[in-house]
Amino acid sequence: MPTLVELRQVNKYFGEHHVLKDVSLTVDTGQVIVVVGPSGSGKSTLCRTINRLEAIDSGEILVEGTPLPTEGAALARLRSNVGMVFQSFNLFPQYTARENVALAPVKVKGVKPSVARERATDLLNRVGLAEHADKLPARLSGGQQQRVAIARALAMEPKVMLFDEPTSALDPEMINEVLDVMKDLVAQGMTMVVVTHEMGFARSAADRVVFMDDGRIAEACDPEDFFTAPRTERARDFLSRILPH
Amino acid sequence: MSTLLYDEPGPVTRARLRSWSVVALLVIGLAVGLVCWRLWGQGQFEEDLWAPFLDEPALRTGLVGGLVGTLQAAAMAMALALVVGFAVAVARLSPSRVVQAAGATFVWFFRGPPLLILILFFFLAFPMAFDIDITPFWALVLGLMLYNGAVLAEVIRAGVLALPRGQEEAAVALGMRRGTTLRYVLLPQAVRNMLPAVISQMVILVKDTSLGFVVSYGELLRYGNTAIQVLDNPIQMYLVVALIFIAINMSLSRVAHALEKNPVASGLRRRRTVAESR
Amino acid sequence: MDAVIDNIDVILRGFGATLLVTLLALVLAVVLGTATACFRVSPLKPLSAVGTAYVGMVRNTPLTVIFFMVVFGTPEVGLNASFTAFAVVALGVYTGPFIGEVLRSGIQGLHTGQGEAARSLGMSFGQSLRYVILPQAARDVVAPLGNVCIATLKNSSVAMAFGVFEATAAGYTLANANATAVIQILAAVAVGYLCLTSLAAVAIETVEHRVRIVR
Ligand SMILES: Nc1ncnc2c1ncn2[C@@H]1O[C@H](COP(=O)(O)OP(=O)(O)OP(=O)(O)O)[C@@H](O)[C@H]1O
Ligand SMILES: [Mg+2]
Repeated sequence: MPTLVELRQVNKYFGEHHVLKDVSLTVDTGQVIVVVGPSGSGKSTLCRTINRLEAIDSGEILVEGTPLPTEGAALARLRSNVGMVFQSFNLFPQYTARENVALAPVKVKGVKPSVARERATDLLNRVGLAEHADKLPARLSGGQQQRVAIARALAMEPKVMLFDEPTSALDPEMINEVLDVMKDLVAQGMTMVVVTHEMGFARSAADRVVFMDDGRIAEACDPEDFFTAPRTERARDFLSRILPH
Repeated sequence: MSTLLYDEPGPVTRARLRSWSVVALLVIGLAVGLVCWRLWGQGQFEEDLWAPFLDEPALRTGLVGGLVGTLQAAAMAMALALVVGFAVAVARLSPSRVVQAAGATFVWFFRGPPLLILILFFFLAFPMAFDIDITPFWALVLGLMLYNGAVLAEVIRAGVLALPRGQEEAAVALGMRRGTTLRYVLLPQAVRNMLPAVISQMVILVKDTSLGFVVSYGELLRYGNTAIQVLDNPIQMYLVVALIFIAINMSLSRVAHALEKNPVASGLRRRRTVAESR
Repeated sequence: MDAVIDNIDVILRGFGATLLVTLLALVLAVVLGTATACFRVSPLKPLSAVGTAYVGMVRNTPLTVIFFMVVFGTPEVGLNASFTAFAVVALGVYTGPFIGEVLRSGIQGLHTGQGEAARSLGMSFGQSLRYVILPQAARDVVAPLGNVCIATLKNSSVAMAFGVFEATAAGYTLANANATAVIQILAAVAVGYLCLTSLAAVAIETVEHRVRIVR
């Protein structure tokens, strides 16, 4: 499979704080990469550099072989091909679920409103929210909001989807409804980079698990290997704390 | 870092921002230049309009005297307004419907009309209707007291209502009576929480003392008015008066800001809160 | 009471002037305030510095001082206008930064994630502003803008000292002329203001309620 996203020797600082240290990573088309690691290790930052919500200080990021644009219309175009799902959903509160999903296709891609609405309805159907299409986000539960957010990202027909801890802000009973939608995407062959603490999802859905520690990729391997025989001390330590015994 | 409105600028954006900043600077410079040119053309930079501020001791004494007048009225009004505000807030938090309504009416009635009406009321109605002589100082201070009392009552009430419910429940659980609860548990915390809002109101009050010129109270602005009759330099005089007000109010705001931001103070606040809720 | 009824036309005329000065000043203030808000959120340092300086200076200066500057300062540089025009300028210049700050905090009070979500979908700066940020900010500023309007109505009373015969001036003049009815006259004017401010408060509340979005 061709490489879709590639990070080469990426470094990122917040002021003095070195947050990404020589990070290199390739994501092939159709691959699902799950990023795990302790809090503050740079997972979100890594995820956000891929659509340049965070600018990098050195190194290179390539999407489909071309360097990530740094600004302007080219960056906007790139972003319309990269779906992003946030921990805090970030739905637009003044629009209904359907309008949230249909907005960007109409305004950014110039899709006809009637077509976009229809597609939005389909997508909401797909994430199990057909009957909630006309509700404002505030009337939806966290899990439902996050599913709308996924549908909103999918509406742009992205080539890759970035998830930054999509279930961390959810009550436990809602986590699965979101993970199920994500597993559906995996089954359909979507390319995904997922930051998560859901080890069950990592184990069943990931093609590769990337373990980050203190700004570095400490380990990148097959999920089975990672969970059964982690190579680094830090990863063993991390797993012992996060997995139920 | 990306913000609500902007991405972290790329190289092209950065260059563009730089050149537009230069353009903006030029336009601002041009505007300032035009104003200065106009002022200069009208003789506003002539020395005898500015020099008195530096080499006329009488002017300086007068300005200081005016400033003292401003500060005296502001301090007295603030102290009284706090007392009134506190009383009205307690009334509004009282369990009695009647007392609550009285407090609410007070706030509605004295916050609604302009402050100037209240000042004029004391200034005109007292001598004319009640035959009570009232000095301009007291007309100003009493007007300020009622208006700011009404405003501060709301600030204080909001401060108490913003306290976590648990605090009150804890106090009640300890068997404290309502008054005791209010006094020992809720108020000390509320005072600290609302200090910034109280200081903002103080800035407004300091500005409003300048309404004293309407009743001929001898404060800063009025002194300035008198002095320009001799010096004939209104632009310069009002600029200086404005700068003095700005200096006072910015220092007040800085205090408020420090109180809000100071980690030591807020740490203290948390620790004390724990102690007091016991 | 007779003094009030006999002079009701004078008082009403005063309130007419009050409303006129208030509305015109608000128009000027909205223009200045919008510019200030744009300046302050602008990525151009010189512009945001100018915005910050204007807000910092005017907000800490008494309205009366600004009135004096306008009424006695501008003629010194050869600019003359009617008392009403001066009052409108003074009140507008004073109110501008307050409106600017309401607008600015309406925008900057939104969660950063809203902008990031909009941009992540491929929206340009203009699009995210137009479809995501401004619609939310517009709803959030209704109540604080309304409060500025009410404050401006009350502040317009300062114009009485600068040759504008508005409601407070009417009250002052009538009170001086009717020594026995001072309280009634001033109370009547106060009640007039109370009616206007209470009416405005209800109107704001209604609008705010209608446009409010739950988050
Ligand atoms: N905007 C910022 N400014 C300064 N420092 C930041 C900023 N964002 C993140 N950091 C710092 O960078 C480091 C990495 O942050 P990041 O959010 O990528 O961690 P993370 O792995 O996602 O952690 P978590 O599991 O808590 O979400 C942290 O130490 C964090 O404090
Ligand atoms: Mg994170």
